Amino acid sequence: MLIQITVNGETRGVHAPPLMSLGRVLREEFHLTGTKLVCGEGFCGSCQVFLDDEAVNSCLVPIATADGRQVRTIESIAEPRGPLSPVQQALKDADAVQCGMCFPGMIVSITSFLENCPHPSRLDVQAALVGNLCRCTGYERIVDAVVMLGAEG
Amino acid sequence: MQSAIGANYPRRDAEDKLRGRVKFTIDHDSGQMLHVALLRSEVPSGRLIALDLEPARRMLGVRGVISAPDAPGIYGVMVADHPLFVVDEIRYTGEPIAAVAADSLEIAQAAVAAIRVEIEEFAPLFTMAEAVAPGARELHPGWRDYEMLAGEGERDGNISWQSTVVRGDVDGEFARDDVTIVETLYRAGRQNQTPFEPRAVVASYEGGRFVITTSTQFPWSVRSGVARVVGVQPSDVRVIVPTVGGGFGLKFEMSLEPFAALLARETGRSVKFVNSRQEEQQTALCRENAEIRIRSAVTATGEIVGREGIMMMDCGAYSGEQPFLCSMVTHTLFGSYKLGSARLVSQSVYTSTPPTGAFRACCGTYCVAALERHTDEICARMGFDRWEFRRQNVLGDGDLGPTGDTFKGDVLGPMLDRMVELRKRSTGIRSHHDGLLYGTSITVGTWFIFVGPSAATINLNPDGTATLITAGVEIGSGSTMQAIPQIVADVLQIPIGNVTVREADTDSAGYDGGAGGGRSTVSLGAASADAAVDVKRKVLELAADMLEVDAVDLVLENGRVFVDGVPSVSVSIQEVAALAQHTTGPIAGTGAFTGIGNRAVAGCAAGHYIGALDLPVFAVHEADVSVDPDTGHVTVIDYRVVQDVGRAINPRAVYGQIQGGVTQGLGYALHEEITFDDHGRVRQQGFETYRIPLSGDTVPVLVDLFEGAPSFGPLGVKGAGEVPILNVAAAISCAVADAIGRPVFEIPLTPERVLSLIHERPGAGVDLPHVQTDWRTAVIGDVEELLRVAPR
Repeated sequence: MLIQITVNGETRGVHAPPLMSLGRVLREEFHLTGTKLVCGEGFCGSCQVFLDDEAVNSCLVPIATADGRQVRTIESIAEPRGPLSPVQQALKDADAVQCGMCFPGMIVSITSFLENCPHPSRLDVQAALVGNLCRCTGYERIVDAVVMLGAEG
Repeated sequence: MQSAIGANYPRRDAEDKLRGRVKFTIDHDSGQMLHVALLRSEVPSGRLIALDLEPARRMLGVRGVISAPDAPGIYGVMVADHPLFVVDEIRYTGEPIAAVAADSLEIAQAAVAAIRVEIEEFAPLFTMAEAVAPGARELHPGWRDYEMLAGEGERDGNISWQSTVVRGDVDGEFARDDVTIVETLYRAGRQNQTPFEPRAVVASYEGGRFVITTSTQFPWSVRSGVARVVGVQPSDVRVIVPTVGGGFGLKFEMSLEPFAALLARETGRSVKFVNSRQEEQQTALCRENAEIRIRSAVTATGEIVGREGIMMMDCGAYSGEQPFLCSMVTHTLFGSYKLGSARLVSQSVYTSTPPTGAFRACCGTYCVAALERHTDEICARMGFDRWEFRRQNVLGDGDLGPTGDTFKGDVLGPMLDRMVELRKRSTGIRSHHDGLLYGTSITVGTWFIFVGPSAATINLNPDGTATLITAGVEIGSGSTMQAIPQIVADVLQIPIGNVTVREADTDSAGYDGGAGGGRSTVSLGAASADAAVDVKRKVLELAADMLEVDAVDLVLENGRVFVDGVPSVSVSIQEVAALAQHTTGPIAGTGAFTGIGNRAVAGCAAGHYIGALDLPVFAVHEADVSVDPDTGHVTVIDYRVVQDVGRAINPRAVYGQIQGGVTQGLGYALHEEITFDDHGRVRQQGFETYRIPLSGDTVPVLVDLFEGAPSFGPLGVKGAGEVPILNVAAAISCAVADAIGRPVFEIPLTPERVLSLIHERPGAGVDLPHVQTDWRTAVIGDVEELLRVAPR
């Protein structure tokens, strides 16, 4: 079916089977490969994007349900030639990155979380990241970076 | 310029990874590529009677279908026992039978479903107990005729490899009337590596060669492996490796590459093949399950005069890495401590399960756990203090290792002392009146750097910057993003930003033994340092001409060459590089490195690929835990690590590796386990049932980096990324045993298992009747000959 969707500010029509996931459409039709499909079942959070300002697992969103809506992916969290977003910068400063697969979703998740909970405790952050898995880092630097960012903001 | 060594430089790839800009192999897609699906066996054991590929070939959009006749070569690590496709016998659920390339993944999957197969099912042998039972069916009836690819070891039926150690008079020491004999059993489950980027490959066939872009840790092994399976020269295979989204050992062996390569040649198109998460769960080369019996004769003064071990590791359907890893049982299960005499047999066993493989510190994790539980049982039985017994018995300078080689330097002892200091920084166990059971542990462990060969080339560019060319792969650990360019920048005295790192490509870089075994910073670091020294020598020679002085009087510092003591007489490295364009031609340097080849004492070790360690690495871990006696749930309160790093090139990066490695180890010790149903299907098909640690499951790890242990690595470095997981299962097993006041025999320590331990009588635990009680009976081959040639 034909779906009208606005991705990172650009409105486009795409032909896709209605049950195809938003994540696959972003990667395969829009070539926005920053969104990572790791588990494909909504457990890992690596594929998180903003759908009308709500952070969602794009692997669980049938593209038909995104018709007429706005999507923001990791590629637009910071302008290509602009500075990193505060969340991205905090994670960079903390030397938190290892393999990098989970971070696009992690950043969307944290950005959304801080909008609702600007000054979180460590426990708040750990609870917020329950749907964002990471196999490399052991999380602590990510949690530290978010807590510090909240304390500064 | 501040020294690049010991500085916390940021990762050069961090920003692109945070922006979602890095292209992993899974992100390579031209939009015109073919997609691959495999027909995988749905039964664990049987014979392929008929295979009809025609229904798939006739489907619209299908471009190529291949099966066993297309891949003639048999591969393996030590034993060539593994065909790419089922030839005749099916040996595990998930084994590839045929592969389809089609215009879309959906078409490929539909075509796979259309293939007709007829299979005669056999009774599977899922466990090692079944596989080694008397009269068990041979899972590889042709094992006697298999080609040996490296080394020699006894094999027999379903025992795919055996390593033995015999040193000293074990029978005599055990028979002494002044010793106490303590025996411990231990069982460890399978752990899936779960890198977030699945195994993935893009291949094409160009100019009569296979061009393979792949998510691997070991490009040169993909080059030779694909060549072997396909039946071409290794030079006909080019392997390019973009950023890899995690490996943890899973990507140390060839996997999907030959399927994509063959289909690229078959179709003349670019072919992309990515494993689904479900396929990764079913077919990952997991850390193997293992079963161990260990026994020691200890005197009242705490001297270990004899130690005997019998262990079995499950290699699954094909032997893979396990014959190699049998050597490492010796150095871990029989490592760390001074032993008066020792004998050990470790066997890799074929079963009707998916093949297992390498995973960060491999068999070391559970061997250290078994050894440290055993050590605690010795202490409990004989009334020794756990720390003092270890302090008395750990290997020090001049002591003999398990295979009779001499260890250099006092490392573990001083590390134990440092742990006492580190413990003071812990908040400690808080309450004893809340109904929870509290326990703590102290553990030591020995692992190694799998040094091996590496090559490096450095081009000094006309602008004075350097380009480093190696087959080193960035798997996330930061070796090629942080440590290695820091080493090059230090030698050449240029800013670290002026060192460009070329991505791995076997057409441009020389051989390298792969990003694994803790070796990147050591081996690639040494080769890169060597290449940098070569560049520096040429720079100084040319500068000597420019400054009209002798090269021996020159020093290179802060990007300038000057006469020692006369900084005003100088020339910049950029000026030298520019002048070279018109005099010597562009400056380049080459470097190389390999291990020193330590050996076991003659007659001591059989079936060992690694007879003695070139570069041991040590770790001391402690855990404080609480156990809820009502639920069996284990909570980690504090975790402490003293790690032997040789020298920390980038301490902050090392801390990051330790936090991540310990967390992976907590998953292993507490809840990660791969198990099988009656059809050989992995029960944990995704992240809902295979639960890796979440952010709330870990704790901030307290770390002390121990520097200064002997190392022939560059600047005295040892690898730091692999070893953090080594002792975790040990530290948790010992702490839980301490908390519940009962022995712990197995991991993972799920709430269910912990509850059953709490409620069973002391002494109850795993029963491993197939792991022989008698060493002589357990050994295959000529046991008397082993005893005869052994050093006394």
